[in-house]
Amino acid sequence: MEHHLPVLLIITPLVAAPLCVLVRQRLAVFGLSLTVCWATFAMAIMLLVRVLDSGEITYQLGGWSAPWGIEYRIDTLSAFVMLFVSGIGAIVLTFAPHSIAREIREDQHYLFFAEYLLCLTGLLGIAITGDLFNLFVFLEISSLSAYALISLGAREGVQQTRRALIAAFHYLVMGTIGATFILIGIGLLYMMTGTLNMADMAERLRAEVQINRKLMDVNETRTVLVAFAFLSVGISLKMALFPLHMWLPNAYTYAPSVVTAFLAATATKVSVYVLLRLIFTIVGASFAFEKLPLDTELMVLSLIGIVVASTTAIFQTNIKRMLAYSSVAQIGYIALGISFASLDGLTGAIVHLFNHALIKGGLFLAMGCLVLRLGSAELDDLRGIGRRMPWTMFAWVVGGLGLIGVPVTAGFISKWYLISAALERGWWPVALLVLLSSLLALVYVWRVVEAAYFQDSPEQHAEVTEAPAAMLIPTYVLIGATVFFGLWTSLSAGVAQQAAQLLLEVTP
Amino acid sequence: MNPETTIKLALALPLATAATTVFLGERQRNLRESFTLFGAVALFLVIAMLAPAVTSGARPAATLLEMIPGLAIAFEVEPLGMLFAMVASGLWIVTTCYSIGYMRAHHENHQTRFFVCFAVAIFAAVGAAMAANMFTLFVFYEVLTLSTYPLVTHHGTEAARKGGRTYLGILLFTSVAFLLLAVVWTWTIAGTLDFRPGGILAGKADNTVLCALLGLYVFGTGKAALMPFHRWLPAAMVAPTPVSALLHAVAVVKVGVFTVMKVAVYIFGIDLLRTTGISVWLMYVAGATILLASLVALTKDNLKARLAYSTISQLSYIVLGAMLANSWGVIGGSMHIAMHAVGKITLFFCAGAIYVTAHKTEISDMRGIGRTMPLTTFAFLLGSLSVIGLPPFGGSWSKWYLALGAAEAYQWPLVAVLMISSLLNIAYLIPIVVRGFFFAPVDGPEKPKIKEAPMLCVVPLCVTAVGGLALFFFAGRIYELLTPIAQLSGN
Amino acid sequence: MKQHSILRVVAKLLIPFILLFALYVQFHGDYGPGGGFQAGVIFAAGIVLYGLVFGLQAARNVAPPIVMERLIALGVLIYAGTGVAAMFCGGNFLDYSALEYSFLQGSLLERHLPHGQHLGILLVELGVGITVAAVMILIFFSFAGRERSR
Repeated sequence: MEHHLPVLLIITPLVAAPLCVLVRQRLAVFGLSLTVCWATFAMAIMLLVRVLDSGEITYQLGGWSAPWGIEYRIDTLSAFVMLFVSGIGAIVLTFAPHSIAREIREDQHYLFFAEYLLCLTGLLGIAITGDLFNLFVFLEISSLSAYALISLGAREGVQQTRRALIAAFHYLVMGTIGATFILIGIGLLYMMTGTLNMADMAERLRAEVQINRKLMDVNETRTVLVAFAFLSVGISLKMALFPLHMWLPNAYTYAPSVVTAFLAATATKVSVYVLLRLIFTIVGASFAFEKLPLDTELMVLSLIGIVVASTTAIFQTNIKRMLAYSSVAQIGYIALGISFASLDGLTGAIVHLFNHALIKGGLFLAMGCLVLRLGSAELDDLRGIGRRMPWTMFAWVVGGLGLIGVPVTAGFISKWYLISAALERGWWPVALLVLLSSLLALVYVWRVVEAAYFQDSPEQHAEVTEAPAAMLIPTYVLIGATVFFGLWTSLSAGVAQQAAQLLLEVTP
Repeated sequence: MNPETTIKLALALPLATAATTVFLGERQRNLRESFTLFGAVALFLVIAMLAPAVTSGARPAATLLEMIPGLAIAFEVEPLGMLFAMVASGLWIVTTCYSIGYMRAHHENHQTRFFVCFAVAIFAAVGAAMAANMFTLFVFYEVLTLSTYPLVTHHGTEAARKGGRTYLGILLFTSVAFLLLAVVWTWTIAGTLDFRPGGILAGKADNTVLCALLGLYVFGTGKAALMPFHRWLPAAMVAPTPVSALLHAVAVVKVGVFTVMKVAVYIFGIDLLRTTGISVWLMYVAGATILLASLVALTKDNLKARLAYSTISQLSYIVLGAMLANSWGVIGGSMHIAMHAVGKITLFFCAGAIYVTAHKTEISDMRGIGRTMPLTTFAFLLGSLSVIGLPPFGGSWSKWYLALGAAEAYQWPLVAVLMISSLLNIAYLIPIVVRGFFFAPVDGPEKPKIKEAPMLCVVPLCVTAVGGLALFFFAGRIYELLTPIAQLSGN
Repeated sequence: MKQHSILRVVAKLLIPFILLFALYVQFHGDYGPGGGFQAGVIFAAGIVLYGLVFGLQAARNVAPPIVMERLIALGVLIYAGTGVAAMFCGGNFLDYSALEYSFLQGSLLERHLPHGQHLGILLVELGVGITVAAVMILIFFSFAGRERSR
């Protein structure tokens, strides 16, 4: 059983999804999904422990050895990503019942669970596989189920929820463009190297080849450069790096709260993982950062993205949309960390994958509680809610403090690494920009705080009560985790540092 | 009890008090109040237990956890921190009594939230006092800002919201944009953030970098209210007076100047500052703040506003002491932390007592107040004399040492500033007392009946007023406590 | 289009052969062009033709949407199930070589029944075929159904 752990992690949700469709009965489906998600989380924990103990794990699908067969390859980074993806999957699903009863049509609930499990499968699969095309397949699985999940926000008869369909469609179009770019990149790389296995491809890219009677490395050929360009643009779109982020605000705003919580915490992070694999495992840091100016490009785009997205967030009246723009800014931090190409920078980026997943997941769960009781996520409707739903708002405030990066929250840890990395290189304007963006975050978080605590409730919300415990507990688990991992960082920052070290050592 | 446990207990006590207060809530008011008082007394005693060790030269230490690989939340009690911790915990006892009296007399809402945030703020102040490295100090500094926000915006009104915005805006802006940058920069240059005698930056960077770094530290410590980042202090006067009293006359602002002092002595080192002369421009900024703030205080009719600007001015005395970078300056500045705390808290207590009893906030309305509230007004006189710095009050010692320090550094303009500011202090404080005792009341009969503030308010303010007097005689002990720091300067 | 008798008659004649051809393509994927994806689409095309000629309701009677939905799930389960069966037989996931069975060994049937890689591929392609057919039919129903409601 131990030997099969990697594949069990994937096939458990994969098998459970069609079972949900077959069973159909709401309670049974929920029970099945919940069990499966927590089991998956347990397996992810076991895998991380094994990887930290004994190093990389490999598993060959179908018994075919690499590079002919598809192999699953788990190193510290993969295990770390799978840990928080499955963890958030489990916690958000525990939160789900009340929320989806309010926001999704009852006869579609079993489809919600099935698609949720499929999305989880896809995301975990991306992190676990060592084969580039297999990665693309899982990417598509997670994307397609994400589009479907977002469209579930549309309820017949409720006019304004139709925007969920449009948002899902826009996401579908842009996501497919991104996926197509990625596929083109993979195709070109396959053409030049003859293999799809990532480790094998890395070796073959450094082989010598004769083009037009000139001897050069494979990775100096124009084809590979173009392939890398396609791949990085496609991945940037999937991870919502400025300016390819336009699909994100609408998708997060109009999707059901549970879907937003899950996707915001996981989907973009896994795309960052793909970028990390591409840069450090396949093409190598020297190719990406020395031969090509990827570091400058990432830094410029991420800095602009951070400032522009944070500023846009300040002017939003819908809180979910505000948090969506905030997510774009936070992805900017992660990309900035990668662009430093140093141990501190990379550690900051990887730890922020984890920290931001917790913070945003918790914030969107709190939003789910608010939407349950208020029926809306507008700032106007949130007036005075601090008195009526004290626990929910307190959780929201702590999450908001995490976004700002106040000490004692996880956000501070990531910021520290980013600023250290910037100052190490002597780039104090970059450090200053990161700090100023915290202040921008302060502005948009405080708008909500002031509305919730200092203003009077509008009349129609006078009878609103606190959210049910079944929803508050998962919210507090995630928010509590942001405080916990703001104090005790050996799991988050410690493992992130190990992962970063491994990436930098092994990179060609 | 070994020192490590004592330190951890000192940190746990205010937190435990906060937790108990949450659970007891409004329904068990008296029990809640008793627990807070008990916690305050216990905290003072626990901290006092560390005093003998520190005075004899030991440095009790404890480490809590490693927050970032290489940077731990660690504590080490040295003389300056010892002084500050004792001041903060001692005055917490007095302020708790006063708060109980004030809040009940005023029938304030959200009293549980008040006492909880208070306890957390004290926790942050004590944590900052005992910090062993700049990282720990920064963490507690931020916790203090956040825990005092609900206190400042206690009334929940529009004015409170605006005041809270200015408060949080300036403090977080300075701490994030300047102080955090300075801290990470120091970490990058020096490889450590520990507070060490003689500093950690000697020889690590050239003078321009060090000068910029010092500027970032001093301006980044917004709580020290150095101009132009001083506006949060008057804005925070929207808070109930007990909040203004402890936090803005003692804990919050004192954490600010304490940070500046620690940075000067243990991060840069007094010798480094003196030999490179990088702190001279900041001496003048402090001097300017002293004068300007006093001048503004003269124009304010609202008593709390006048006291706020007076605090801004007095805080810059301590900053000046730190920037003078010689033993007299450091001792004078450090001593002033205690002297000013006791003096100012008396003044704020009196202001609150007057508000609760006579419902007056403007000084022009306070004519003849001495006839209805003689004890309070007399205490106000004692507090004023301490703040002005006249013997036999404690404030005179700290001002004397500061003047000596300025003279030793040949900064004659700054000696003049100190003199002028004392005169200005007299000008904006004494008339209040004179008007209170010798002028006829604005409204009501010529010889009104005595109606003092509630007992729980009057007793604390009398205690602190007398405390200012007592500190004159205790100054010697404080001097002994602080000498090791001064000896670090090598002169 | 029921009125057009030529279409009706020809469709009635062709549809069984289309379906049969789909099965042929399904099972001969390892000998020639074919396999699950192609077979599924051809099968669905047969049902689509039926729907076009005899009406959507008739097609719905033959291939009820509920059943189609269940078939989609079933197909995926067959595929994944094959992989899991391989695990139970001692190999890795989807290691078809492990799909050996000890009974019937030595008997006359052994030579004719597939095993190992052959069995594995047949099973997964079956799963794929079922899912693809059901998906294409459901997609047709969604679009055709919308057309009618306008």
